[in-house]
Order: sequence, then C-alpha cells, then structure tokens
Amino acid sequence: MLALHDLQRVFKDGLLADDEETVLAHIAGDGLGPRARLALYRHHVLTTLTATLESAFPVVCQLVDKRFFAYAADAFIRQHPPARPCLVEYGAIFSEFLEGFPPCQGHPYLPDMARLEWAVHQAAQVAEVRPLDCARFDAIPRDDLPSLRFSMDPTLSYVSSPWPVDKIWRAHQEGAEPAELDLSAGGTCLEVRRVGDGVSVRVLDPAAYALRHALAVGAMLEEAAGAALTVAPSVDLIGAIQKLLQDQIFTDFTLSP
Amino acid sequence: MSATSGPGRPDARAGIGLRAPHVGELLATRPAVPWLEIHPENYMMGGAALASLETARRDYPVSFHGVGLSLGSAGLIDRRHLERLKTLVDRIAPCLVSEHLSWSTSGGAYLNHLLPLPYTDETLAVVASHIHEVQESLGQSILIENPSSYLRFRHSTIPEPEFLAELARRTGCGLLCDVNNIYVTAWNLGLDAIAYLGALPTATVGEMHLAGHARNDADGQTILIDDHGSRVAPPVWTLYHEALQRFGPVPTLVEWDTDIPELSVLLAEACTADGLLEAARTRGGHARAA
Repeated sequence: MLALHDLQRVFKDGLLADDEETVLAHIAGDGLGPRARLALYRHHVLTTLTATLESAFPVVCQLVDKRFFAYAADAFIRQHPPARPCLVEYGAIFSEFLEGFPPCQGHPYLPDMARLEWAVHQAAQVAEVRPLDCARFDAIPRDDLPSLRFSMDPTLSYVSSPWPVDKIWRAHQEGAEPAELDLSAGGTCLEVRRVGDGVSVRVLDPAAYALRHALAVGAMLEEAAGAALTVAPSVDLIGAIQKLLQDQIFTDFTLSP
Repeated sequence: MSATSGPGRPDARAGIGLRAPHVGELLATRPAVPWLEIHPENYMMGGAALASLETARRDYPVSFHGVGLSLGSAGLIDRRHLERLKTLVDRIAPCLVSEHLSWSTSGGAYLNHLLPLPYTDETLAVVASHIHEVQESLGQSILIENPSSYLRFRHSTIPEPEFLAELARRTGCGLLCDVNNIYVTAWNLGLDAIAYLGALPTATVGEMHLAGHARNDADGQTILIDDHGSRVAPPVWTLYHEALQRFGPVPTLVEWDTDIPELSVLLAEACTADGLLEAARTRGGHARAA
C-alpha cells in the first residue's frame, strides 16, 4: 500500500506524464478498467485548463485555430501545470513556452501576441490601487528627484514587439472590421492598463516607452531618463515626466539610498 | 463588515450558484432567490469581480463553496491560499463555508480537479488535521462535500459515508450532502445510493447540492459525468426527496457550471427544489436524529 503522499505523486504522473502503470495498479476495476477510469480524470484536467488558457489568450487561439491551440495547451499544461488554485493567475509563462515550442516556429509573432493578451488579462483582473497624491510628489526636494523609484498602477504592463501585434489584436476583437494584416508593417511599443471597466491598449512613442518601461521594472528616475535619451536623444524629458504625473501611473515612491 | 454581522445559516430554502455570466442580470433584476453560493477562488484577485460580489452581498446571503484548499493532499495546506480565503471571509461574511473531500495539489502542481482519495486511517488523519487548521483559521466550522467519483482505490478500507461521518465526529465540521454526487458515484462504482444516504449522520448535514450530470460511453459502459451542465436528472430528484425525508428541510443549492443557461432556467430549477423543501417543512415529522 502506497503512503498518501506517494499515491498522489504517482496519480499526478499518471495524469500529466502519461506514466500510468504505477498508479493503475492501485485502482480497482469494478467493471470499467482502471485505465479508462483514470482517463476520465485526465480528460477533465486537460480540457478545463485548456479552456482557462483559451479565455486568457483568445486571439492566439484564433490565430492558430482551436485544435492547434488545444495541442499547444496540452503540452504546456503537462510541463507547467498551475501552481495555485486561482486560475486567473494561470498562463503567465505561456508566451515563453510558445517561444520555445517548435511547432510554433512558423508564427514568430505568437509569443508577443501572448504577452499582449496576458497584459490585457492581468489589467482586467488585478485589484486597483489609489494613484499617488500629487501633493506628496510636489513636496520632494528637487535634488532627490533623480534617485526616486516608483510603484506603478498594478494594472499596467508594457509590451513591445518587432511585429504589429496591436493591429493584429484589434483586428481580432469582437465586432472589428476585417482588415488586411501586413506583418511587415513594423513593430510597436504598447502600454496596457485598466481604464474604468475596460482595458486600454495604447501605442507609445519609443522614448516614452523606454522611460515608462524602465520605471516599471524598478529603475530610478535618472536611469529611466537615460533609457529614454538613448532611444531619442532629443526627447523632451520634462514634458515626458509631466505626462507621467498627468496619467496618474504612480501609486507610491521611495528614495534610493 | 465583520464576520459576526453575517446572516448565519441560510433558511432551509433553495438558492443558486452564482456564475459570471449571470452576475449582470442578477444585479439588474434582483430576483427573489433566497441565497447565493460562489467559488471564493474567483474573487481572490479583487478587482471588478469582488466589487460585484459585494454589491450582491447587500441583498443576498452568500455562501462560499471552495474548490482550492485541497484538504486531502498529504503534507501542508497551502497557507497563502488559506490566508486569501480568510481575507475574503472577513470581507463578505458568508453564511456558510464549504470545501470538498478530495485533493487537487501534489508536488506544487494544482490539477484543477476534485481528485479521489483512498479512504484509509492515514487519509482520515490528514483530512481531519487540515479541516481543524481551516476551522481554526476562519474561526468557524465548515461543511465538507462528498465528491463525485469515477474510481476507487484498492486499498480503501472505509466506506465514503462512514469516512465523512468520522470526519464530522473528529473535527466538528458539518456535511454538505451533494445528492447528484451520491447518485453519480453510486452509479460509477456500483454502490447503493439509498444506503449511502442512510449512512450519513443526519444531524451533521448542513446543506445539500443539486446539479445535472451527463451520461458518457466509456469502453462500452455508461459512466455518469458530474458536469453541472443540464437540469437535475429525474432520479436525482427522487434521491433528493429521499434525502429530505431523512434530513428534513436543509438549505439546498442548485449548481450549473457548463453550458450555462439563461438565469431564469436556473431559477426555475431552484424553484422546483424549493417546492420539495416546502413539502418537507409541512410534513414536519421527519426523524432528524441527534
């Protein structure tokens, strides 16, 4: 008799790794054989998790068609099952998986589309945080400004791609006009954020993207400004920073030591 | 709102499981359904979902029916998940909190299914200790639901209803008697559904569930799948009638999770259950053993 811990491990392997034989020995036949009984559980696990991924990545699913999506999802679920029960959090690394999934190599824009869809999904789900009170910002001594680090609106994500993923994404939204899609139309820099009950996907110019993306990954204001200047040496930095405050994308800040 | 201002146990009437496609219509029309049940896992991120639940909570008692605690997993319970559940319980003040006699997590993987347990002394000790921990953390007793099963482990030594009865005795938890699950499990494993009902300690049953199931062909045999995707099947209504005879009128919930119909269809199913509850109330003299 297997201890519970070991039974659950071999049961999991029987569901996800197709290593059935060990667990089958512990399942009673009772008419229908153990293999068919275990398959009922596997079917439920794979189909419900596939449906979870489909709802988070509806455009990827449309782009590759539902059957191929299910094939990719099956491989993803077996390699990277959810770690926790809140399934709206499941799929964060699906884009990375697609990047390394050989059958997807003919669709190089798919991982970026998955990144964009995850950003949209996140923006719709996460709890909002009150924006930073501007009076607090105004009270910061000028000399301290370069070494500020910011916490950002948690619904925000920054996605850039060498492909026109925003145009493809828009063309696949419900009610969108059919459009000719030109993959050579060039890349895009996007800011994704919840606005009211909806999610906005907005194109940023490369300097604004560099500034905001750097701040979002924890850079000091001075470093982020440097990133923007590298992309566009003549950028109006003061204007770009004022725009950050107008857009209320900060929720808090800390002074770096 | 604190947990102590919650409405307590709902009346012995029939409520509905509230699912995302019905939230808008429910809030706009406020149908006269006596109570609602939700899966707390769908509200733990906060955001718009939680805001709509708080709005619904102003007009309806809300019960929490968890699917993520994995009470039957060997090893430690997921403390972060329990914390999130507690935060939500404190915020919404549910009238009931329930979970399943099953496991879903092994080696860091959450398998999104209510998986079957071997009914042994070891499992009993594991599940009882996890129920203790949850009840301690939430500061209230919970109900444990019998799962739908498609297989039985060879080394199980304790019949499921007796296993549930022993859990209730050891931990003080109540039982959520899912009538459809009893029917499905009894069919799939060749058990006697009426005898199953008879083996549950009546005083511990704090809620009942009803739902539809599907009939599937597997290797030439009919297997019932607990898909919550149709009306309650006639033999399940018959079994529910039996359960009411035995347990008396107990708060009852109709669940519908796949091929979700118009809200009115779900409400009509709850209405049917309500009629049977009303009949059980008027019959009165049921033998609700201590």
